[in-house]
Amino acid sequence: MAIEIRPFSAEWRNSLREFNARLAATGTPLPEDPDAEMQPGSTMYVAVEDGAVRGGYILRPQTFSIRGALRRVAHFRLPVSEGAVNRAYARVGPLLVRSALQAEPLLYALGMRGFDRPLPRLLGAMGWSVSSIPLFFRVARPARFLRGIRAAREARWRASLMDLAAWTGTGWIGLRGWQWARSLQPRGGIEWDTADDFGSWADEVWGAAQAEYGMTAMRDARTLSELYPAGNKRFVRVRVNSRGWAVVLDTAMEGDRYFGDLRVGTIVDSMARPRDAAAVIHAARRYLEGRGVDVIVSNQSHAAWGAALRADGFFAGPSNFLFAASKELAALGVPATEMHMNRGDGDGPVHL
Amino acid sequence: MSSETLDEVRRIAADVFGRDENLLGADSSPEQVETWDSVQHLTLVLALEARYGVEFSPEEMERMKTLGDIAGLVGSKIR
Repeated sequence: MAIEIRPFSAEWRNSLREFNARLAATGTPLPEDPDAEMQPGSTMYVAVEDGAVRGGYILRPQTFSIRGALRRVAHFRLPVSEGAVNRAYARVGPLLVRSALQAEPLLYALGMRGFDRPLPRLLGAMGWSVSSIPLFFRVARPARFLRGIRAAREARWRASLMDLAAWTGTGWIGLRGWQWARSLQPRGGIEWDTADDFGSWADEVWGAAQAEYGMTAMRDARTLSELYPAGNKRFVRVRVNSRGWAVVLDTAMEGDRYFGDLRVGTIVDSMARPRDAAAVIHAARRYLEGRGVDVIVSNQSHAAWGAALRADGFFAGPSNFLFAASKELAALGVPATEMHMNRGDGDGPVHL
Repeated sequence: MSSETLDEVRRIAADVFGRDENLLGADSSPEQVETWDSVQHLTLVLALEARYGVEFSPEEMERMKTLGDIAGLVGSKIR
């Protein structure tokens, strides 16, 4: 019987469980209770063959501002195929991608954990544009950070930091001093506070900033209130007057493969006119340092946000957070450094 | 499907999979060809689309279980 791709419904739940069990060793499963686990507006599709689930993916259509014009763009999440464990289904992966493209030609994928993983290889083979979104970090508590990062199994961070420490010529003292010196640049009396929710002030920020980005997902008050609900106390909204904002997280890690047991501050999301990015980053960093985090991290694609992070004493580190654009989306010709993409995009900060 | 089309599909598949063309036939499938994974399957499809100037729909891609199936689909589109 032919494989058909259909929106998920409860009748496939048992088959989906069996599918996830077969693919358990390969990574992230498809959500068995999609409504509870997906971003608002998402739909999960499953590839079904004679009652058995053989693959699936999630699509979330969003409104993007592309060179100031609003366009429908969809996030393509979690394509998973039986082909990962059974080559007889090698056709399913390409079938999922082409099916999603047929429904949503302007498509992007985010995250994907490195260029050598199957999905970015598959998308690259289909002519998608695949690039990494730079990661920036700032060590807030060097002694704790060094102890914590030694405990982590993953050596990439440590290697990266050792390289940087060596580069400063004076090790950790030099690193701390360099961060401090970089962040001494005048900030012109930045006033900031934290907000309980996104209100009309966020609409003002969006209205002023939107057209200054080559491409960015809509970040008006209504959208932001869905992504970062006021009732979820994990999300802290750092607001810089009416100039901009950042959503930050303060997470105590436990045995994380990258961060061990460190306390990690993340600048998850942000919006401001590019010229105000430095003020927002400075305020977010000050807030997180005041909370006592060990290290602060942020993925930011836009050149102005990268420059703001560097000016505030952040270093660039190794990034496996990838952005892939379908051929039609890439053909719109927005360079990566003019796109405003960060950890608030895609499926949001679910892994932070 | 003409034997000419099958031969051409076999030749392109051999190139994509890094296998001897003489070891590939109409019955060859991913289970038998070790290097025939999702990425190589897609590479084969794209190579055929470029060679013949056609595009396969998701429904057609679903039917591509063997080289014979693929050659049959190519034949039906260029006829």
